[in-house]
Amino acid sequence: MTNHWVDLKNSDVIMLQGSNAAENHPASFNWIHKAREDRGAKLIVVDPRFTRSAAKADLYAPIRSGTDIAFWGGLMKYIIDNDLYHKEYVVSFTNAANLIHPEYQGPEDLDGLFSGFADDDGDGFGKYDRATWTYQVDAEGKTIRDETLQDPMCVFQLLKQHYARHDLDTVSAITGCPKDKLEQAYALYASTGAPEKTGTILYAMGQTQHTVGSQNVRALAMVQLLLGNIGRPGGGVNALRGESNVQGSTDQGLLAHLLPGYLPIPTTGDPDFTAYVENKTKPGGAWSGGYWANGPKFITSMLKAWWGEHATTENGFAYDYLPKVDSAANHYHIALFEAMLAGGIKGIWIMGQNPAVGGPNARLERLALQQLDWLALNDLFQTETAAFWQAPGVNPAEVKTEVFLLPAADGMEKEGSIVTSGRLIQWRPAVAAAPGEALPDHDIITLVVRKLKELYAADAGPFADPILHLTWEYDGGPTHPVVGDLIDINKVAREMNGYALADLLGPTGAVVAKKGDTLSTFGALTTDGTTACGCWVFGGYVALAPDGEGNTLPASKRRGQKDPSGLGLYPYWGFSWPLNRRIVYNRCSADSAGNRWPGGKDLIWWDANADSGTKDAEGKPVLGKWVGNDVPDFVVTRGPAAAGGNDPFIMRTDGKGGLFAAMNEGPFPTHYEPVESPTGNALYPDRAVNPVIKIFTTNSDQSVGDALGTPDRFPIIATTYRVVEHWQAGGMSRWLEWLAEAQPDMFVELSEELAKEKGVANGQKVKVRSARGEITAVAIVTKRFKPFLINGKTVHEIGMPWHFGWGGGTDAPALATGDAANDLTPHVGDGNTMIPEYKAFLVDLERA
Amino acid sequence: MSDRLAMYIDTSKCMACRGCQVACKQWNDRRGYVPGERETRNTGSYENPLSLDPETWTRITFHELDDGERFQWLFLKEGCMHCTHAACVEVCPTHALKYGPHGIVTYERDLCNGCGYCSQFCPFHVPKLEVINRLTGEAKSSKCVFCQDRTTNGLKPACVKTCPAGALDWGERDGMIAQAQSRVELLRSAQGFAQANVYGETQLGGLGRIYVLTAPPAAYGLPENPKYPVMAAVQKVLQPLGQVAFGGTVLAAITAWIIARRNVRMEEVE
Amino acid sequence: MSVRLRDRDSAIAIRWIPKYTTLERVLHWVHTAAFLPLALTGFAIFAPWLSDIAQGAAGTHIRLIHRVAAIIFGGVPVLYAILQPRRMWMNAKEFLSFGKYDLLWLKGAFPYYVLGRHGEMPPQPRFNTGERLTAVVLVLGTIVFGITGLTMWFLKGLMPAWLFQLMLFGHDIMFLITFIMFIIHFYLAVIHPMMWQSLVSMRFGVVSESYAREHHALWYYGEKRAKEMWEAHQAAHKDQT
Repeated sequence: MTNHWVDLKNSDVIMLQGSNAAENHPASFNWIHKAREDRGAKLIVVDPRFTRSAAKADLYAPIRSGTDIAFWGGLMKYIIDNDLYHKEYVVSFTNAANLIHPEYQGPEDLDGLFSGFADDDGDGFGKYDRATWTYQVDAEGKTIRDETLQDPMCVFQLLKQHYARHDLDTVSAITGCPKDKLEQAYALYASTGAPEKTGTILYAMGQTQHTVGSQNVRALAMVQLLLGNIGRPGGGVNALRGESNVQGSTDQGLLAHLLPGYLPIPTTGDPDFTAYVENKTKPGGAWSGGYWANGPKFITSMLKAWWGEHATTENGFAYDYLPKVDSAANHYHIALFEAMLAGGIKGIWIMGQNPAVGGPNARLERLALQQLDWLALNDLFQTETAAFWQAPGVNPAEVKTEVFLLPAADGMEKEGSIVTSGRLIQWRPAVAAAPGEALPDHDIITLVVRKLKELYAADAGPFADPILHLTWEYDGGPTHPVVGDLIDINKVAREMNGYALADLLGPTGAVVAKKGDTLSTFGALTTDGTTACGCWVFGGYVALAPDGEGNTLPASKRRGQKDPSGLGLYPYWGFSWPLNRRIVYNRCSADSAGNRWPGGKDLIWWDANADSGTKDAEGKPVLGKWVGNDVPDFVVTRGPAAAGGNDPFIMRTDGKGGLFAAMNEGPFPTHYEPVESPTGNALYPDRAVNPVIKIFTTNSDQSVGDALGTPDRFPIIATTYRVVEHWQAGGMSRWLEWLAEAQPDMFVELSEELAKEKGVANGQKVKVRSARGEITAVAIVTKRFKPFLINGKTVHEIGMPWHFGWGGGTDAPALATGDAANDLTPHVGDGNTMIPEYKAFLVDLERA
Repeated sequence: MSDRLAMYIDTSKCMACRGCQVACKQWNDRRGYVPGERETRNTGSYENPLSLDPETWTRITFHELDDGERFQWLFLKEGCMHCTHAACVEVCPTHALKYGPHGIVTYERDLCNGCGYCSQFCPFHVPKLEVINRLTGEAKSSKCVFCQDRTTNGLKPACVKTCPAGALDWGERDGMIAQAQSRVELLRSAQGFAQANVYGETQLGGLGRIYVLTAPPAAYGLPENPKYPVMAAVQKVLQPLGQVAFGGTVLAAITAWIIARRNVRMEEVE
Repeated sequence: MSVRLRDRDSAIAIRWIPKYTTLERVLHWVHTAAFLPLALTGFAIFAPWLSDIAQGAAGTHIRLIHRVAAIIFGGVPVLYAILQPRRMWMNAKEFLSFGKYDLLWLKGAFPYYVLGRHGEMPPQPRFNTGERLTAVVLVLGTIVFGITGLTMWFLKGLMPAWLFQLMLFGHDIMFLITFIMFIIHFYLAVIHPMMWQSLVSMRFGVVSESYAREHHALWYYGEKRAKEMWEAHQAAHKDQT
């Protein structure tokens, strides 16, 4: 989230789209209710199904799964046509005024494609050359802007043209949302474009788990930029993360394309450290401007943290120890399992994941597991993945995989921190003892690392240095409070936080940090190997900080309850990365002159008379700094009139919000249909599907394979979702009796109209089939799904939870069992992230 | 009573997360799904278990309401209403059910003899009999007791503590009623719920649960105007009356004997 | 049959007339042994001031005793029907016939049983009005207790609550009626100075000839003769007023 949970109470309009927050983030509704009760805020829920969130909404608008870009595009058109955008914000803080390359062309000109598309093998999919997606620059290399927003090549006009055909009728025909509901939703949300109002958009997998998932999020971010909602209380682009520490996971780089702190993973195009840095800092590179210009400090400090004294200036800080990928895309989940199926992977270590149930095209993924030589898992229960060799229809005697199930401690049984969706890091102690031999993951990993070091020390093989030289000085000891803990997690935290390896000198030459000091900011990190920092964005999270009650303790351990501003920032509670900023891009909370916007949601503002803390050449204090209720997400002394004073989006090279921003599919989100869709693309009939996605075709003619379904055989849209009673692939809920009792069986929700057509009564068993599998489930016939009228045809949509599996190990099976919804989903993913398209695919349904 | 405490339940905020259902089970050591013993099945709804039972003292019921104007998915937290005039207390032959402190209708399992009258006289069908042996009649009653071990020690009931939506509250009954009334006012004026109403203020002389509803009670399966069961009132008359009748008969017999002794020796043989 | 005293030259002889079979007597006492615990345990549940003994494990045992006794209570007529069906049928027919003499008996009961005035009572068959009323009430009671009790026992939770409430009410009312009737029956059969023979009859199965003559004239003299005697008596009395 750019904002945070408590901040929801400051919103005037809350839009939930692609999120069922009432079920999956129930605590959030505490704040949503406050906003509605205290400030009369309105809640809009946009969802194919009337969910438990919709039950609390002021306005519910149904849309067909996979049509969010059409919806957002229609909203953008509505905002622009009705002059509801926040003018000063858009002109000053975004790239709306920037002029684009004269040869740029968009889908309106090119039938669904942007300029620069190349489809080398003629299969309809390819990639873009982004040369025409650049800004026009003048002779000095400065971007050309038209702040009247009239130039036909300015971003604003190109945006307007891109969504020109997204009128209410067109959007209604594509999304199936009735026109009146669309207009109500648009009018209500667009009202937050007023300078004194802010609106927040909350989204989750309903936006991301599509082949156009990244584009969906792009689109809603653009809406927020147009309305001037980012960087302000009650606004923001707010992803509701799906696991309690997935935010922490992504912060730590647990994605194939990242190192911790969102540093790019080295590729084969970065053969050495110099190349790695050069490729990013050169003009046009990711680190060529904005705060990312500090990238070299972050990577250097990370390497020092990992390899300590073995990382030196001479050897490029042991950069050679890092593995390099040819393309990160080849290592995302779907590609991984395709490679596994093809026999390319010997073994896999799965920690707290249950892909046998949660992975797309789960039958294929379970078959892929059978190709492994070995499988190791850290888990609490013998899940369906741990027991994939006992799945119905599998003969264990024919599975050659050796499986190791390592009992893991639960979240309550280990000390450490997790990061909420709102970037808030909260440290917590262990409050229960792990049963039997179960250990926290950090200890399990430690045991493995120690053994690896031992084995490699005895027999180094071709290149053992990366393991042998890995720093691992985290040992706990008799004084460590948690019995049985092998390492002291606080030591790991310190390394992640960053500490000085030598005395650090400030700009005046004074010592700002002594050797060994835990650093309080990533601003202190260096490129010369004098700092170590495992995850720069966390910088300061375990440094000592005041809790507002007179105590000083590691920042993420604080539980100070003072909230001086009343905005719910709670600056003394935990640590909100980066640097305890509660709302990022908060430069936007003041206007282009640095004055507070109207409305009373005052976050930071420019005080020209405040002592900045530095002195000029004559020793006189330099005046002027950003002051207020939050840590400024900006150079504190850079005034609005200074160079870059109106570039709030500091992580972008030009500091401006990207209404026009390049991603794999193009610089503007474009409506494409899901890969399996009952209809063609009404806007671009020749371009039904996202042109940059990867289509796998392994065994597509076989029962277990990458078959794709067509509407003639599978006319019904299906979507998958979660319910509050269960957790993800069920490993942490289906074995618990109170939860299993509340939601014991796999079910499918369908409309009364579809039920009548198929002769299905409420509570009856039904069979649901896709091109990839068939499942049985209990039918819940409900008014909460209604048929859609799409491009003139009636189309039905059904939905189902994906929590269920057959029960895992037969000696201790889950209490709640059922068929896995993911037996039906396809092995296709988003054009940028490859997140699977779990949310829209085709099925057929009949009585069982 | 001025120190009467009540539970405030705002169905307009409830999201049916079942946190209350689970927190209650956790605090009161109730069972859930036990293979072979207690198995629930999805019969076409999210609702489970399908009724209160000895292991389930509170649960959420689900109701879809389409009144033509607005579609609502209503959620109701069901449980003992802790009535002012509680039929279960009046018919309980052992005082296992009592009017406890703060208006809580308390239950002492040790005193219960399993007769089951409470389960048959409650107008809301709340107390459920845990039948240990149907043949011998061994049984125990069960119901929500407003976490009497917590609430008599200054804590809130487990369900109230856990509710993430802030839909539950616990405090002085008058305060909870005032809160409900102002919430209903807001729902009607600002959120378009013309039929929002307070339930529990006056029903049956006043309940220990104060509900904020966004639709008429019937839409939630609540009796609009629950009546104190006539038969319970009859019991209350019959019991003294019966004993008077017995006593009177015994007295009459004694009197008759005293008189007859003098008048009667033996039958005269003719 | 007549009982002769040992001393053969006695001046008096008492003739004993059989009224109850051994089975009937045994079943009567078994019935009593079941009724009393039933009434007492029921009363413990019924009376609020006895809640202390109705509580907890003691209460559960009380309820168990009630059920066991109920089975015995209900089993008695069943055993009777199986073992002496013709006697049962014969008695049943007698129990269910009521006539004008019964009204007169009721009118005369107080002067007779309390004030000791003889000669006021109309002739009675083998079972007098009171005995027949007792029997009817008990038969009714067995049926009503049976239905209400068994449904409350086995169908609690399976039948609608309002029906259970009704069953409980019926059970309670029947309890009141039968227990009041029991008090009267006990008083008359055991305590009453004039009625010591009723206890003898239920212990030994016989009543004396003089007892039968007085209390069961229709049985002793036969219907025709007894009626004649009564009408003559009535006529004589009328003259005297």
